[in-house]
Amino acid sequence: MNEILIIARKELLSVVRERRVLFTTLVLPILIMPLLMFGPILLFGNAARQTQESVQKVGVVGVPTVVLEELRKARVEPIEVANPQEAVQNREVQAALVFENGRYIIYGRLSGGATQSALVVEKVQAALRAYKDQVVAEQLRARGIGTDILEPFSIETKDASREQERAAGLFAFLIPFFLVSFIQAGGMPVAVDATAGEKEKGTLEALLAAPVPLVQVLLGKGLAVFVMSLLSTFAAVAGLLLGGGVFRNLFAAQLQAVQNGENQAQLGGALALDPLGYLAILVTAVLFALLIIAIMISLGLYARSFKEAQSYMSPLSLVMLIPLLFLQFSDFLKLQDWYFALPLVNVMLALDAIVKGAATATQLLITWASTLAYGALALYLAYRNFQREDVVFRN
Amino acid sequence: MIEAINLQKSYQKMQAVRGISFSVQPGEVYGLLGPNGAGKTTTLRMLATLLKPTGGSAKVAGFDVLRQPLEVRRNLGIVNGGMKVYDKLTGYEVLDFFGSFYDLWGPKLKERIAWAAELLHLEPSILNKQVRQMSTGMQQKIVIARAILHQPQVLLLDEATAGLDVFARRALLDFVKQYAGLGKTLVYSTHVMSEAEEVCDRVGFIDHGLLVFEGSLQEALELGSGNLERAFIRRLEEAA
Repeated sequence: MNEILIIARKELLSVVRERRVLFTTLVLPILIMPLLMFGPILLFGNAARQTQESVQKVGVVGVPTVVLEELRKARVEPIEVANPQEAVQNREVQAALVFENGRYIIYGRLSGGATQSALVVEKVQAALRAYKDQVVAEQLRARGIGTDILEPFSIETKDASREQERAAGLFAFLIPFFLVSFIQAGGMPVAVDATAGEKEKGTLEALLAAPVPLVQVLLGKGLAVFVMSLLSTFAAVAGLLLGGGVFRNLFAAQLQAVQNGENQAQLGGALALDPLGYLAILVTAVLFALLIIAIMISLGLYARSFKEAQSYMSPLSLVMLIPLLFLQFSDFLKLQDWYFALPLVNVMLALDAIVKGAATATQLLITWASTLAYGALALYLAYRNFQREDVVFRN
Repeated sequence: MIEAINLQKSYQKMQAVRGISFSVQPGEVYGLLGPNGAGKTTTLRMLATLLKPTGGSAKVAGFDVLRQPLEVRRNLGIVNGGMKVYDKLTGYEVLDFFGSFYDLWGPKLKERIAWAAELLHLEPSILNKQVRQMSTGMQQKIVIARAILHQPQVLLLDEATAGLDVFARRALLDFVKQYAGLGKTLVYSTHVMSEAEEVCDRVGFIDHGLLVFEGSLQEALELGSGNLERAFIRRLEEAA
């Protein structure tokens, strides 16, 4: 045990001396998490608000004067264009409106994610709807009929999600992703340095010649990677919580404007878990860290050099996108308990369920037991790799 | 002491060491001489328990390399030319790290570090520098200090002067003689004949995994009419 701690301490000391690694694993997550969480929301929110408040050019063809007036009231400047589709494509106008044969056709750049054009199209649609309601109301009045005939009953939609799920908002999706990403990203530099790095620098042979059983060398290195993984993850979570608070205070007005009366889920949300919920997240994250670390150390030992180790480990991030995709559509699936035994997918599903307050004891136990089993298997493979002379002296 | 009997090492398609037998007594420096790829490093790695022999047996300081690897490592130090120590740690931290595996702590560790530093002509102040800030020669001295800190009965030096300047090389050769003078058992592997001539008591010529000559330095010199290099080439040509 003593040797394990000595080796882990040495690995961590090497990390502490490397400012670049310290910055990327501990400081960067604190700085980047609030930006990741709130930056896009603020950016898009402000852009959307400015689009609403400012006046944009909209190409028109054959549009009646009264509708042109309605468009101007909706803060849109109608401009006659010859070819509406081309005008939108060439960005001469943000959208175009054509009236022919009693039908309005709206052109906009609607592909490629959130576009300003799409927001202007919404403005035009809203203006047309308002005008349509106005025309219908006038015609009903002319026939002596009240407008309440249009709404024989009202419709109200209420969110029936659990309290935790409502409060979590985006967190429910992002927490599993960020935890998993930072556990891997935080541990990777140490895992590479402690394995392939030692081989490449020629320091491994001296260590292996010391009277320490291989398994203790492996566990010492694993412990160092584990500590860095968790520190990096805690840094990310701290960045999220502390930085989020600072962000909320600094940009209170802007966030309020973006929020525009919606619930706080839009702004990242907040975890509303009982202590057992937090404990469940911690246990899941720790077990997942054990699995990922064992995989990284196994790959690192097999590699000849830093570059080779990085090329083996980097695809792990892509592999983790697969369960993330699974998570996106999890609501459409009838979750079976055995899903929680699938490697990586189980951790994502379990974290998602914990954050939403929907995790059952069976699901958690299956997740923990299977992750532990996968971790033990990966650790055994790492140990076998370490025993192989052709792997250790591969450089 | 070291006792190797018919020591062999095979890889899938290649036999790196094809049955080597030799013994080295306390206070003796044994020169393992051979061209690149002859099997010197593989032999020393087997003695250091870094590689498992595929045939034969070897004992180091009385312990079997296959059955008692940890005991062997407790009584052995190894240095090779490509070996490095952790460059982000200071010299002192490196020695502290390796010393702790041999139960060297506190005052005892300090005493051993001072002893190794004196033997290797290491300025105590240099030990507070990070290894990456040291010259190649100084780094090699830290590598050697790490290997002798626990005062092992057996010391294996494999191309240990590779990349060293003339001063560092001289210090190392002086150290080899001094360490043997303490009654320790040394194997000095090299392909530089002048170094072997200076420090070795007995020599073995190794080629293609076989020991083609073994004898005292005097016997080897006689074989080459007073020139070790000539003896080496002659014996290897005869064996080919």
